[in-house]
Amino acid sequence: MQIDAVAALLMGLAGAGHCLMMCGGLAGALSGNASLPRLLAYNAGRISSYTIAGAIIGAAASQIMQNMPDGLVYLRLLAAFFLLVLGLYLGGWWLGLQRLEKLGIPLWRALQPVAVKFRQAQSMPALYLAGMLWGWLPCGLVYSALSWAALSGSASQGALYMALFGLGTLPAMVAFGWFSQAVQAFLKSQGFKQLMGIIMILYAAWTAIIALRQLGILH
Amino acid sequence: MSKVLPEAPPGLCFHCLQPLPDDGGYQVVIADQQRPVCCYGCQAVAETIAQQNLLHFYQYRDTSNPLAIPLVPEELQQLSAYDDEQLQQQFTRTHDDQSRSMTLSVEGMTCSACAWLIEQHLARIAGVVQAQVNATTERVHITWVPAQVKLSTLLQAIAQLGYRALPFQSATQEQDFKRKRRYFINRLGVAGLATMQVMMIAVALYFGVLSEFDENLKQFMWWISLLFATPVLLYSAQPFYLSALRSIQAQRPNMDVPVSIALLGAYGASAYATITHQGEVYFESVAMFTFFLLVGRYLELLAKQKALSAAANLIKLLPAVADREGADGEIETVPVSQLHPGDVIRVLSGHTLPADGTLLDGTALVNESVLTGESRPVQKHRGETMLAGSINQQQTARLQVTAIQQDTVLASIIALQDLALSRKPKLAQVAERLANQFVVQVLIMAALTFLIWTWIDPAEAFWVTLAVLVATCPCALALAAPTAVTGAIHKLNKSGVLLRNADVLQVLQQVKTVFVDKTGTLTSGEFKLQQSYVAPCSPYASDQLHAITQALEHYSEHPLAQPLRQLTTTKCQVSQVETITGAGLQGIWQNQSVRLGSLAFIQQWHPEYQPHLPQAQVFLASVAGVWAEYQVGDQLRSDAQIGVARLQQAGFKVVMLTGDRLELAQPIAQQLGITEVQANCLPADKLAYVSEAQQQHPVMMIGDGINDGPVLAQADISVTFGHAADLARTAADVVLMRNQFSAVLSFVDIAAKSRTILRQNIIWALVYNVGILPVAMFGLVTPYIAAIGMSVSSLIVLLNSLRLYR
Repeated sequence: MQIDAVAALLMGLAGAGHCLMMCGGLAGALSGNASLPRLLAYNAGRISSYTIAGAIIGAAASQIMQNMPDGLVYLRLLAAFFLLVLGLYLGGWWLGLQRLEKLGIPLWRALQPVAVKFRQAQSMPALYLAGMLWGWLPCGLVYSALSWAALSGSASQGALYMALFGLGTLPAMVAFGWFSQAVQAFLKSQGFKQLMGIIMILYAAWTAIIALRQLGILH
Repeated sequence: MSKVLPEAPPGLCFHCLQPLPDDGGYQVVIADQQRPVCCYGCQAVAETIAQQNLLHFYQYRDTSNPLAIPLVPEELQQLSAYDDEQLQQQFTRTHDDQSRSMTLSVEGMTCSACAWLIEQHLARIAGVVQAQVNATTERVHITWVPAQVKLSTLLQAIAQLGYRALPFQSATQEQDFKRKRRYFINRLGVAGLATMQVMMIAVALYFGVLSEFDENLKQFMWWISLLFATPVLLYSAQPFYLSALRSIQAQRPNMDVPVSIALLGAYGASAYATITHQGEVYFESVAMFTFFLLVGRYLELLAKQKALSAAANLIKLLPAVADREGADGEIETVPVSQLHPGDVIRVLSGHTLPADGTLLDGTALVNESVLTGESRPVQKHRGETMLAGSINQQQTARLQVTAIQQDTVLASIIALQDLALSRKPKLAQVAERLANQFVVQVLIMAALTFLIWTWIDPAEAFWVTLAVLVATCPCALALAAPTAVTGAIHKLNKSGVLLRNADVLQVLQQVKTVFVDKTGTLTSGEFKLQQSYVAPCSPYASDQLHAITQALEHYSEHPLAQPLRQLTTTKCQVSQVETITGAGLQGIWQNQSVRLGSLAFIQQWHPEYQPHLPQAQVFLASVAGVWAEYQVGDQLRSDAQIGVARLQQAGFKVVMLTGDRLELAQPIAQQLGITEVQANCLPADKLAYVSEAQQQHPVMMIGDGINDGPVLAQADISVTFGHAADLARTAADVVLMRNQFSAVLSFVDIAAKSRTILRQNIIWALVYNVGILPVAMFGLVTPYIAAIGMSVSSLIVLLNSLRLYR
């Protein structure tokens, strides 16, 4: 469904303020200088990681669904729930998403030593790899996007959703330096994050209603 | 390697500088120190940064304000030029406590959310005493302590929020106005033209001709509509997006939020339908909604500018140069900014006074209409103050400068007008809060509508929600108060009534009692001898007695003494004169003791004496007998009688409060038709009467700004006559610049009218918004009907307010 892909893209865009605060200046700091090709290489690595994760989750979910007729609907409800949690997180009303983040820590701990090797990577391939590692940083935003990749029904679709999500985060990360102060102040403001939170929550409610409606029709 | 890293402000995450969660968040060790972070993500990032030895990332960042990013050096340099002392003198006022204030004009302000943002931001800077942002005039009035903070820092702080602030210069205001008008006219033009085209197509598609269109032609029409609606969305509707974004940033969503959502949503869905060849298109609603909203904004802008330029025009009239008289009597032309108090300047006939000054010639005739609204010329005498902005009517006048530029009375009048415009009256605040709450409710209702309709009929959900957003947008409610208040202030200023506090417009309606001071309020305040009586038994001629009185009065400082110093040309000698406070004067004339003073004072010598003139206040007596009686009084203002009568007609109880004896006050009261008189009042008594009446309902007090200060402060509405020079000192809510009693009536009339309009506006806006909501939620309103409904409701409010400008 196209509309689910939109959701993934939207989640990436909605996270702009969050991404900007967390990692905005970092990409530049890690890559030594912040020229556009270097930033792009780095972020391409990051998005590649998301895509891989999306493919894995998509494949796994499609396996489960083969054995469950209503599986997609329940997955949709789950995705709606994650979207709701993300909305609450972005708005700063409930930080439950951090529990999910905690799950990602062991993975990161395992990858961290590798990351050190790519410290101030200079060549483009090295930058790309460093970006890929960065993609596995514990991040609630990514995990909720993954719940949508699970809905996609196949590995390729899951990969597509996560790539779209990554694209959504790209403006905030790459165009960081081009944004005027006013735009940056706006993206970082609490008001913007709350607006995005509300939109996510609404989207969650809408998704849930559609899913429940489908359940009603099924039974 | 251990570096000293700047600490994050308390309560903020060390990594992302966002607020920490309530439980304190998590910890991370950076540079051998425990640091708080807000989440696992930040924890992991911070650890990685430390491990990869990238600590310079933390070292060189500004932790004071996560949003602050330094300006480019050139801009900084430009701003720091304003720290120059000499430059600052031209547009700042220095106060007694070493603080300084000035007015900045701010570009890029779109709504009250902007004002709030700037106010909050400035108020946090140490050294800022007060920052008042006026969204109407797009000006910031700021008071700061130069020793603590530099002006350039303040300008920079505003720049950080994305606004450009520069010292307000009235000379450029007209240009700004023009630019602003062009901004809207361009967008209106585009929206208007596009709306016509799109509407034509829409009408053709909706009615009649529909069946004759084949599917391809319909597609073509949709694409044409898309083509016309795009510039409307991208160009014409810009002001709404900007304002919506600002308000979101300030966490106070305003009505432009639902407007923007509706516009973008309707356009997006219509464009999607056009591209996919299915569904519905509402391009005509997008264009029409934008057009009508812009018309509303444009009219609002015009009204605002009209109110503002009235004040701005005053300043524009001031000449930039002055003819200064040198020590050798030679005339040199200098810029007004180089004048100093004490300089002597010449003003030619027909020219405008460039500065305040005292008249050095015998008399002069000036027109003070810009200051007072009174168009008849006023006669000035030597030593009297002449005001910048008034026009010299007769021969060349010489004056000694007392104040220039920001210190002139004219400047303080303009400052007062600005102040009144910037202070929102309570009702306007209530209306604004209501509108803001309404916006939130509209958004919630729209969300609910969407979700409920998704359950009922997903295909309709989107358009029904859109109709709810458009139809219930509280534009009318948001316009209701500000337009009416701006109109009222404009009208009052035009009639020479200065408002310090626009709240009184609201309070006036509850006022039942008007306390009026006698001297200087009902009367002109200029004392004259009204009647004198010479006792027939007196051994001296009346001329001789007047001469004694006159001689004695030269030793007195009592206000009543003034008219008794010019009784006769005959001279006489008195000696050993002493003043007995509260009683009168005693002296020796031709070896006998004489007394001049109150009845009680001479009754000490002549206990049985009863005055022949019942209203005489001053008596002349020797030990042998009472020789003369004088009645000194001031003239009633010519329009006092009709003024009082009209106040009574309007339903006010008029009470006279005076320090004079009842015998003196009563006849005047009778003449004016005032039935209740409180005579013999000390200031404390006046205060007591006013507070007693206040137990029942709010009261209005009209009095002398200086002497009645405490009573005026006590009253709910205080009205005073602007003795121009004391303008800065008066604390009254309403200052009447026209020195006529009937000026009170202009105030009362305009206040009543503006209140009526305000009430009509708010009631209408509420009725419309509350009424349309359920209709729209039931899906009975199509988007274009919603657009028409909303637009018409706000235009009605605007046009109603514009009545005040007539």
